Amino acid sequence: MTTLELDRHDPDVRPARRARAAVVRMRGLGMSGRPTLAISVVTAGAILAAWWAATALQLTPSLFLPRPSEVIHQFVLVYKNGYAGASLGAHIGASLLRIGTASLLAIATAIPIGLAMGLNRWVKGILDTPIEFYWPLPPLAYLPLMIIWLGIGEASKIALLFLAMFAPICLSAQAGVRSVSLERANAARALGASRWQLFLHIVLPSALPEILTGIRIAFGVGWSTLVAAELIASTRGIGYLIMSAAQFLATDVVFVGIAIISLCAFGFGLAVRLAERWLVPWKGRD
Amino acid sequence: MLRIRNATVTFEGHDGRQVHALDRVDLDIEEGAFVVALGASGCGKSTLLNTIAGFLPLSDGSITLNGREIDGPGADRGVVFQKDTLLPWASIIDNVALGLRFAGIPKRARRERARELLGLVGLADFAESHPHELSGGMRQRVGIARALATEPDILLMDEPFGALDSLTREQMQELLVSVWHRTGKRIFFITHSIEEALFLGTRLIVMSPRPGRVVARYELDFVKRYVETGDVRGIHLDPAFAALREEIRQILHSDHHQGIAA
Ligand SMILES: Nc1ncnc2c1ncn2[C@@H]1O[C@H](COP(=O)(O)OP(=O)(O)OP(=O)(O)O)[C@@H](O)[C@H]1O
Ligand SMILES: [Mg+2]
Repeated sequence: MTTLELDRHDPDVRPARRARAAVVRMRGLGMSGRPTLAISVVTAGAILAAWWAATALQLTPSLFLPRPSEVIHQFVLVYKNGYAGASLGAHIGASLLRIGTASLLAIATAIPIGLAMGLNRWVKGILDTPIEFYWPLPPLAYLPLMIIWLGIGEASKIALLFLAMFAPICLSAQAGVRSVSLERANAARALGASRWQLFLHIVLPSALPEILTGIRIAFGVGWSTLVAAELIASTRGIGYLIMSAAQFLATDVVFVGIAIISLCAFGFGLAVRLAERWLVPWKGRD
Repeated sequence: MLRIRNATVTFEGHDGRQVHALDRVDLDIEEGAFVVALGASGCGKSTLLNTIAGFLPLSDGSITLNGREIDGPGADRGVVFQKDTLLPWASIIDNVALGLRFAGIPKRARRERARELLGLVGLADFAESHPHELSGGMRQRVGIARALATEPDILLMDEPFGALDSLTREQMQELLVSVWHRTGKRIFFITHSIEEALFLGTRLIVMSPRPGRVVARYELDFVKRYVETGDVRGIHLDPAFAALREEIRQILHSDHHQGIAA
């Protein structure tokens, strides 16, 4: 009989009964938020092991690639005695102050200007030309101008970092405004939203994920511009530390400087990602 | 009273030719009416709704609500789209209360009102959930509750159930009728489904494209019968219902063939 046959399960293909039903979630695109920490830690370990092996087997002279132990030793020395005329804390502090000031200025100006450019034809028309003109330029190209205009003090360094960080945030804020769907805006208008309420309750939160992505990119650009900024008559700063060490071919100190920059950059990136998780937990779900 | 007179909308097509999306449409929607618009794709239904909502200005003619000319969107006309437009960052109850927030109503009062409305659409248990945790039908119900919250004079609905499966769709139709009956709101409703149009409307307008015009009007009483008897099957099996369905299908089909020939 058909029904009997349909009811009969082949014992071999019967699914194993689970003790408790598993909690599941939507399969997304790509990795879709599944944790990658373990993979990253293993990768980092592999790179360190390769570094150690290459130096232990003396594949390269120490001037090219110092041993991990040498770098750690140098780090302790720099930490204890300072380097190039300032303590390690002073170098790090000087760099953090520059990038911190520049990023605050960039965030405080680029977000409102970018939003205004996304919302208003006149603002967009006027500011588009200068921004589109300057932002693809390499910071090193306009560095001499900064020095001529602003002198060799802190102002020119912060201005250089500010200009580098401004563009990605400004462009992302514009893209954020463009990402607001007309239907969502119209629905809010039909609920009685005034222009200001439309901005505050619809445009701003809709643009927020893009803006945070822009800030993340800006910090990346900022750190990579830092060394250039500290080329200008500095006496302290991580970039300055690296440049000084390079003059004496102190590869191990260069490595110390690089490690500090990447740790700082990682810390800032982590902070922005935490801010994202806190501010836009709904990202990708609308 | 919502009064539409001689409403005409002309778009500029991408090739520079003029598209007459709406051509001299007259329509009155009085208190308590449930007006359904039906017609082939591209006949101007959404255009008509967008002009009533105030999203789109008229090329010619006038639309007045309670004597006042419509010149932009406003909270006196609630809108529900086919695609839900809930805010993903806000909880369901805050989504429903959004219009009340815009109106400056204090938090406690607007949440209380939103809670009542969620009860009306059967989602009281989901007040603190977020939109992505709800099914399409549930989200559409939230959209209806949200549109009702500001006590609009009219509810404008553009294929609100178009994306739902037939069973959910029937449940939503019955829910909408009960909301309409209990609140006494007038409704302007767009659909592609002849059965949905016949079941829901107190009045039906059939539109035809190029130019967008109203080609037929019917006064219906199936929905009143449903409110009195609750007998959905009986209505769908009624010979009068079947006859009207065939008649309207004829009208729509002739449009369709014209459209293909054009
Ligand atoms: N913004 C626009 N610009 C140019 N033409 C438009 C625009 N919006 C609509 N149209 C045209 O106006 C006509 C009516 O469009 P409308 O969206 O009102 O149709 P509809 O009846 O809602 O169709 P559907 O059932 O497919 O939603 C169509 O021919 C369409 O191409
Ligand atoms: Mg439409």
